[in-house]
Amino acid sequence: MSNEVDELQKLAEIPFTNLNTIMKKLLFLAVLTLTGSLFFQGISKQEQEPEPNLILSTEAALPDDVKAVVDKKCYGCHNANSKNEKGKAKLDWDALDGMKKSKRKAAMGEIAEVLEKGEMPPKKFLENKPEGALTEAELATLAQWSSGKKK
Amino acid sequence: MFVVIQFIPNELPPTTQQNTGDISTSGLVSKEIADLLKTSCYSCHSNETNYPWYSYVAPTSWLMKKDVSEGREELNFSTWLDYDTTKMLGKLDDISSEVGEGRMPMKIYTLMHPSAKLDETQRASIVAWAEETMDKIAEEEEEEEVEASDN
Repeated sequence: MSNEVDELQKLAEIPFTNLNTIMKKLLFLAVLTLTGSLFFQGISKQEQEPEPNLILSTEAALPDDVKAVVDKKCYGCHNANSKNEKGKAKLDWDALDGMKKSKRKAAMGEIAEVLEKGEMPPKKFLENKPEGALTEAELATLAQWSSGKKK
Repeated sequence: MFVVIQFIPNELPPTTQQNTGDISTSGLVSKEIADLLKTSCYSCHSNETNYPWYSYVAPTSWLMKKDVSEGREELNFSTWLDYDTTKMLGKLDDISSEVGEGRMPMKIYTLMHPSAKLDETQRASIVAWAEETMDKIAEEEEEEEVEASDN
């Protein structure tokens, strides 16, 4: 009991400047972890991306122009680690390459339809992020590819 | 009130019984599957809708109009042959997941039409059919592509 009281007294005696340095140290630590985690995320992403290309045949890989649009406008929600559960369930670009042909083509058919109806990106999403909309050129690129027709 | 809303115009989507582009003419469905689709899906997903008496009475008539037109737009077995192969694959993939995960037929529909309910075996056979047919279509398409490149 008396020990506890002693400790409390000690705590109370910590000068304000000390507290300040403790806070600074904590803040520094927080910043360090944050930048650290960002750094590692960057690395793991770089390592992850080329992987699928090694496995898949050239036929399955996305054409460069399609991939550019997908990365910019679709991948944010439609990826294997997406927090947007609905988006991930409907379409996961990371899984597309590993699919058998019928399934991959089916996904393309569904993409083509969603684009035709103008359902993606969702209206609600665009309310907060109007710059996320597909430009006409981007839409044409995706539509051409997903229709499965050769140019 | 009930009498008043009967005068609000509400045109139900038209029906046709003989459809040359119907999936049953495509050679993709067995008699068993065709019958299952007819009993459980055709009311909304074909032009062969059977409108019950309450389809003509507001407010159920409004719901009927909405569900049938949306259903046909999403998937119409009567105009199946109008879909290109990519679209067909997309539709079959959707059928497989919607039926397999129990979202279709819709509860509100089976409530009014208990005979349209699918038991587990029927559900499984529709899913199996959809998956097999996807493989079949994808294979046929591949053969055609090979033939085209040979010529």
